[in-house]
Amino acid sequence: MSVRAGTPARLGIRLDSRLRASALSEWIKFRSLRSGPSALAAAALTVVVGAWLLGAGNRGSYLAASPAGQAAFDPVFTVLQGIELAQLFVGAFGVITVTGEYTSGLIRGTFVATPQRAQVLAMRALVFTVVVWACCTAMSFAAFFLGQSVLSPAKHAGIGDPGVLTAVFGAGLYLTFIGLLGMFIGVLVRRTPGALAVLFGLLAVLPIVFVQIPGEITKNVGEYLPDAGEQVYKLMHSGAYALGPWPGFGVLAVYVALAAVAAFALILRRDA
Amino acid sequence: MSARVAVPGTGSARHAPPAAYRRAGAALAAEWIKLRSLRSMLLTPLLGAVMSIGVADSAVRNNATGWAHLDSVQKARFDPLSVNFNFVIIGILLFGVLGALVATNEYGCGLIRTTLAATPQRGLLLAAKAILAGVALFMLAVVITFTTFFTGQAILSGAHAPHVSLGDHNVLGHLLGTVYYMTAAGLIGLFTGVLVRSAAAAITSVFGFLLVLPLLADKITPDAVTRHTVPYLPANLGDEMLHHHTGLRPGVAVAGLAAWVLVLAAAAAFSLRGRDA
Repeated sequence: MSVRAGTPARLGIRLDSRLRASALSEWIKFRSLRSGPSALAAAALTVVVGAWLLGAGNRGSYLAASPAGQAAFDPVFTVLQGIELAQLFVGAFGVITVTGEYTSGLIRGTFVATPQRAQVLAMRALVFTVVVWACCTAMSFAAFFLGQSVLSPAKHAGIGDPGVLTAVFGAGLYLTFIGLLGMFIGVLVRRTPGALAVLFGLLAVLPIVFVQIPGEITKNVGEYLPDAGEQVYKLMHSGAYALGPWPGFGVLAVYVALAAVAAFALILRRDA
Repeated sequence: MSARVAVPGTGSARHAPPAAYRRAGAALAAEWIKLRSLRSMLLTPLLGAVMSIGVADSAVRNNATGWAHLDSVQKARFDPLSVNFNFVIIGILLFGVLGALVATNEYGCGLIRTTLAATPQRGLLLAAKAILAGVALFMLAVVITFTTFFTGQAILSGAHAPHVSLGDHNVLGHLLGTVYYMTAAGLIGLFTGVLVRSAAAAITSVFGFLLVLPLLADKITPDAVTRHTVPYLPANLGDEMLHHHTGLRPGVAVAGLAAWVLVLAAAAAFSLRGRDA
């Protein structure tokens, strides 16, 4: 009892001020991450310049295509495909926000200052989500408008057309979730190369493996890989994938949620 | 002045710079210790071997069991070597990552400062690193490629599907081309690692450059510009060793890949000379 007697003053720090302090320190670490701005800049460059190249490259082929090919042409997905490259940058950004701290040893200081580790991780995820979502949504809209104007004589979409606003918003959301996936994998692996290998394996290598192995099982399972989230920025959902935009995005969200649960469970019981 | 005057006696022999070959030998020895104690040097090739051989074999097995059910067009198009080596891209990526780690690991832990203090001849240092890593990667690539080939073709012949043997026309050339491509991918990773100095940036570059960029480039409709640039991306040059779909001559592909490696090597040597650690 007597041991407890001295503590009330310390326990008296209210939860909201603790959360605010935690968010502030996470924000300082986030914005001073040296590779952060370049990762986001590389993603933006890839998505926007990619939209221009893909729009210009597909304009001619659309006009030359058969009526069936023209009907299947997806003007939104076509110009947003740069995301396939940009997701590596955003995912790597998510990984480094965590593993950089383990490499430099700062994580020990962080956990001494804030022993509530779940709170640290939650605030970091919050800061990351807000900033990355804002940037990625902005680059997605920029890519959309640029790409459509380049596509122009060929089939193109307006932002008010059915499903288009969802798709363009969804593209920013997709990139954000890939970043979060990278972040939680970073917590699980704690080392940059290993975490990047896991993330890139999931995003880029597994889909290739599943496409190449013929058979019913791989076809069915292959639909439920994290890149199913790409469905959210497609207008046309015919073809190999049967999942719609939000069910597809839900698959990605489930992966992120699983990684988050594992990350929160492990960060509480492991050393730094 | 007085310090210099004192030297000519016995001291000069001790302080004379070591012969060039001794210096190279010492640099090689130092690089070898670092290479063999790199933990990823064991894990990554092991993972690469298991993935490449395992996944290739399961793909071949799938094709072998389905062989009887193929129609005549599919049978005519069946390429036993292509089926066997569809998964070489996994090996390529892991080799690229391994090369990147050989270079960036030293920057990550700060050992590079000691290394550069011990061997101020930075060009020599990079050459020693590249030679040792290149030889190690080459031998690993030989093991992985030939194991993949022999197990894959054995499965095909067991299922009475068409298969090839080492003596058949062009087969050995294809296999050596694959080994060359894997080694080149590792060196591309290594020199990229020296250029960017961080594991994260190097690994992301390797994946972007070798895997995603060619996939994206394929989605742009061919025009005058892409027709003369896209086939020269390193991944497409390497693919040419196995599939022959870009229409380049094998000699051009071999030379093109070598040019990529050399250009990156020159850039890495140049930047290593001028920058801090």
